[in-house]
Amino acid sequence: MDGYIPISNGQLLLTVILVFITGLISALLKLGLLRPLLWGTVRAFIQLTLIGYVLKYVFQWNTLWVIVPLLLLMSFIAAREATRRITRIPYNPGLNTFLSLTASTFVVGIIVVVLIIGPEPWYSAQVMIPIFGMLFGNSMNAVALSLDRMYSEIHANIEEVEQLLSLGATPWEAVVGYIRKAVSAGMMPTINSLMVVGLVSLPGMMTGQILAGMNPQSAVRYQFVVLVMVASCVAIGCLMIVLLSYRKMFDQDGSLVDDLRRN
Amino acid sequence: MGTALLAFKDLTRPLDDEGRRLVVSGKIEPGEVLFVRGPSGAGKSTLLKILGRILTASGGEAWLRGCSWKDIPAPQWRLKVQYVSQKPVVFDGTVEDNLLMPFRFRLLKHKPSPPREQIKEYLEELQLPATLLDQPAKTLSGGETARMALIRSLLLEPEVLLLDEPTASLDENNRQHLNTLLQYWVVEKPRGIVMVSHNEQDLQAFPKRNSLFIG
Repeated sequence: MDGYIPISNGQLLLTVILVFITGLISALLKLGLLRPLLWGTVRAFIQLTLIGYVLKYVFQWNTLWVIVPLLLLMSFIAAREATRRITRIPYNPGLNTFLSLTASTFVVGIIVVVLIIGPEPWYSAQVMIPIFGMLFGNSMNAVALSLDRMYSEIHANIEEVEQLLSLGATPWEAVVGYIRKAVSAGMMPTINSLMVVGLVSLPGMMTGQILAGMNPQSAVRYQFVVLVMVASCVAIGCLMIVLLSYRKMFDQDGSLVDDLRRN
Repeated sequence: MGTALLAFKDLTRPLDDEGRRLVVSGKIEPGEVLFVRGPSGAGKSTLLKILGRILTASGGEAWLRGCSWKDIPAPQWRLKVQYVSQKPVVFDGTVEDNLLMPFRFRLLKHKPSPPREQIKEYLEELQLPATLLDQPAKTLSGGETARMALIRSLLLEPEVLLLDEPTASLDENNRQHLNTLLQYWVVEKPRGIVMVSHNEQDLQAFPKRNSLFIG
């Protein structure tokens, strides 16, 4: 880690130049983005500063009693963010989203941290929190995509589903084709990113490690682990959210709920 | 509920947001055809869907041979009380794939698929060539689709058929053949039919019939 160049307060202050450029474009084109830009800049600075302090203390304490609640809080915020984007679902998917995110992230995160990276102690916050954070971020988008797709597929194919039901299909048999589409829709962006990584994009984590002075060959190993862990986490999360949610499309009699029929 | 094949009492369901409701009672005896009549928008199709448990009623109850629908799981009920939509949905694959599709479902997996002979017999009675079986089902005409959907339902050996304008897309000749088949089917074993139809000849085709007016 000898290549690490710290950013001093003075150097940080120079980022004003960059904010100024962004603001200038907004002002010249009358984009009306000046206020959100300034507010966003201030917020980003404060949020990051605060999380810097929080992480510093969490790393110092390094106890599961702090790490686990923090991870659950992250999952809660991710679930809220994911469900905020899905407005058309005829019920509140918050709990199912939280369960899917938490379960998928913990299963994959534990495997990665304990089995693959193996820090000392095994629950080292310095490893756990960044790894889980990346999992939450990716799983959140994927789960939202899957859930939205499942709903819109069933909504668009009500007559097909009802035909299958009348021919004796169980609710699961009537929608399994759409569930497949929903899960693969959620997984697709992650799979695609596996194809282009290193060619088109240098992922943020790898970039960060290289800037921090890590040997690129080591950084690449970490990045590979991260990519495959994100893929499996996304797969579990998408599968769980549709398994937990598809029954909500049916009433207790196994007919499609009336909310689906409204426009 | 006596000897009625299918009986229903006070089946209720809102028809629109202005508070119009469908509330209807009735029954069919074995071998009988019940014609549901009334102006369009009165809820005739809705009634068929409720009886077939494709839509859930907000109130009321129905009985099959005296057994309440509360005691029969919906998938089993749907096989016995077969709803055939006015616009049947056709799935990818050949006509034969479509006809045999239900026998891949968990509920029917243990049952042997109907023999090809039986399928050909139905095709013949409805004036469809046996070569149709290998044709992609989505290429069928409206009239062919309607008849294919009826055969698909008949192969499930239901006790009651719920038919929503089964002859609407058929010409005179095919209409007669379909009614002849149903006439025979409904008395071959004591079965029943609930039918929505705007055609007076459909009505005349069945000697043992009853009418239910709604709306």
